[in-house]
Amino acid sequence: MTRPKIRFERVTKRYGALTVLDGLDFEVAEGEVVTVIGPSGSGKTTVLRVLMTLEGIQDGVIWVSGEPLNMMHSKGGLVPASKAHIRKIRSRIGMVFQNFNLFPHMTALENCIEAPIQSLGLSKAEAVERAMELLTMVGLTDKRDQYPSQLSGGQQQRVAIARALAMRPETILFDEPTSALDPEMVGEVLSVIRELAAEHSYTILMVTHQMGFAREISDRVCFFDGGKIVEQGPPDDIFGNPQNPRLQQFLSKVLEAR
Amino acid sequence: MMDWRWDFTFDVVLPRLWEAAGITVYATVVSFAFALVGGLILMLLKMSAFKPISFVASEVIEFIRGTPLLVQIFFLFFVLPQVGITLPPLTTGIMAIAIYNSALTAEVYRAGLQAVPRGQWEAAVALNLSPYRTFRKIIIPQSLPPIVPALGNYLIAIFKETPLLSFVAVGEIMHASKLIGSEYYRFNEAVTIAGIFFLVMSLVSAALVRAAENYVKRSILH
Ligand SMILES: Nc1ncnc2c1ncn2[C@@H]1O[C@H](COP(=O)(O)OP(=O)(O)OP(=O)(O)O)[C@@H](O)[C@H]1O
Ligand SMILES: [Mg+2]
Repeated sequence: MTRPKIRFERVTKRYGALTVLDGLDFEVAEGEVVTVIGPSGSGKTTVLRVLMTLEGIQDGVIWVSGEPLNMMHSKGGLVPASKAHIRKIRSRIGMVFQNFNLFPHMTALENCIEAPIQSLGLSKAEAVERAMELLTMVGLTDKRDQYPSQLSGGQQQRVAIARALAMRPETILFDEPTSALDPEMVGEVLSVIRELAAEHSYTILMVTHQMGFAREISDRVCFFDGGKIVEQGPPDDIFGNPQNPRLQQFLSKVLEAR
Repeated sequence: MMDWRWDFTFDVVLPRLWEAAGITVYATVVSFAFALVGGLILMLLKMSAFKPISFVASEVIEFIRGTPLLVQIFFLFFVLPQVGITLPPLTTGIMAIAIYNSALTAEVYRAGLQAVPRGQWEAAVALNLSPYRTFRKIIIPQSLPPIVPALGNYLIAIFKETPLLSFVAVGEIMHASKLIGSEYYRFNEAVTIAGIFFLVMSLVSAALVRAAENYVKRSILH
């Protein structure tokens, strides 16, 4: 393992009186593909949301490539980060949502060039060129001028992946990327993610209920329960030889349901 | 059969009402314009992260919405001069209508913004768009389609509120027809024409609002 790309250091996240993450320590190495599994409400989505800065945290430090995200260095110590600092560090992370969250008033291509032009300062021509490469990669060149409402769920999610990649993130977060899809569209989205995972130039952190897929693409699987990592390891160990009783119970339930 | 005199209508009523209609249209357009801006300011204050400001703003909105417009017109008309501010009745009236409708349009803006799903804001954060760009390119285009028709309804409502200004002797169309009536002891012609005027203006503004709505739909949301 190289140095951690992402590091949670005693991260605590509360919603009112409910503590969702309780002093979580968690690392993802550069280029690593990590999947997070666990029962509903165990805090999986919350891990991604605090990393994307969609939610603030109450305690602890999140590090990205060795730089603090929610804090910043000042006079030899750490102080709460400014908005500008958060924006700078956050630009290394991209996220793909369960419900796609494409911009409905923009075409597939416009969805993919808006942020690169505004935030990366690319010219329109550069942004279009890059976006077309990515739309080609996800197999949607012919849909460039379609609006999200004219696309199937699977196509929308592939555009959303292209849109996230257009910002050139180093780390990509996936929150149950296929949960909102009809079964026949799951495959096309998984094969795009599979391709990204195989490239190993991206660090990937994914929450999924697709156990077979997690086993296939992950370098490491983390089982979350009650806001903590209860067990983690290589997929063959987690799925083939689970140790913790709660993981065993979870897996038998999930496999039964299939 | 109603007693109606065409010579009186053409010689006296129409010329005087024509002038008064201009004042009605003017009062409507100007107070609507101020209400558009005022509502935006009130909404921004209400959504302020600084709690005391947002508290005061929402109390002010509630207070304005909870008091009849006529009372507010009287209040401004009789109270402002006592604190040393003497304005022409028309200005005072426009102020009252604008303030009252600001409280209403503030709600329209707020509802329009809240109609944009949270996921759109989150996608903008994940793409690292600046707050300004997020508003300009993501949020506003999606909130305009519900906002525009609702604002248009307030334009029509303001039209119908302007007769209240006759109570403080603003020479708008209702006031003018009352004056004609008491001068000539004939009400039928003036009041009927004032009514027709409001009907026609309502239809015209409804058509304008629909055109604006379609324009927004075509140019921003597909
Ligand atoms: N905005 C919020 N306000 C209050 N509580 C919240 C909020 N978001 C999440 N929670 C709570 O935090 C806990 C963890 O939620 P989280 O979404 O991280 O679970 P999850 O592991 O992703 O579950 P699922 O598999 O159902 O998606 C849950 O108990 C949830 O109810
Ligand atoms: Mg979740």
